[in-house]
Amino acid sequence: MTELRLAELNRVFLVGRLTRDPEVRQTTAGTPVANFTIAVNRRYKNAAGDWKDETTFVGIVAWQKLAELCKQYLAKGRAVLVEGKLQSRSWETEDGQKRSMLEVRADRVEFLDRGDSRPGADAGPAADAADAPAAPSPGAPPVDDDLPF
Amino acid sequence: MKATTMSELRMPTLNRVLLSGRLTRDPELKFTAGGTAVCNFSLAVNRRYKDQGGQWRDETTFINVVTWHKAAETVNKFLHKGSPVIVEGRLESRSWETEAGQKRSVIEVRADQVRFLEKSESSPDDAPPEQPE
Repeated sequence: MTELRLAELNRVFLVGRLTRDPEVRQTTAGTPVANFTIAVNRRYKNAAGDWKDETTFVGIVAWQKLAELCKQYLAKGRAVLVEGKLQSRSWETEDGQKRSMLEVRADRVEFLDRGDSRPGADAGPAADAADAPAAPSPGAPPVDDDLPF
Repeated sequence: MKATTMSELRMPTLNRVLLSGRLTRDPELKFTAGGTAVCNFSLAVNRRYKDQGGQWRDETTFINVVTWHKAAETVNKFLHKGSPVIVEGRLESRSWETEAGQKRSVIEVRADQVRFLEKSESSPDDAPPEQPE
């Protein structure tokens, strides 16, 4: 029996609604990048047997073609299915403190509202291709201060 | 159920995370005031990719994982810094206030399954699923 190496696994599936309109910017190299936050709901029964709702806010980042589609078709309140991976984003606060947060880098964003003129958006293989930066590049826009994190 | 027309859908609940990685430090086991076991650990999740110059690069993401109940105790008993695991669970946010009164929140993974990948004679290959709260 040969030794095994650790499989690479980092996959996230979420359904939620946008808490505000997506923000789409371009890196200095001209690559579009979209940021938005989705509210992911969970309904559960508490110890007393009452149904409760719990909401988790998750930051999503999409690049390139997918970023443009998000800009074009998404707005506050829209429902999406997001598939992607967890990544951390680090930045420095104005007073020089280091912060980091987890966000989901989307490979696929499916638009779930019926009225949408387009059934879904798929980053396709290109989103993982070599021309996609693996992480926010040095020219990437800074994190918003108004993210709920 | 009639299926003559397409029915309206309700919003699905979907929040699933699958990760593999290694513990960055020994797990920390605590108990709530009610006596429930909670175990926290940090996972280094690696991704190897080719950069634009064709060189292989490693990117590591550190993710906090929390387990509850029986699984928390099993994780604490059998895992240690460096242990390889596969974690399945959901994203959760945890909020608190800093001493200066600022609100902070982080995202972590609440695991309902932690699979132990290290070969060893004593450990089970799996932490049991969490008990309902």
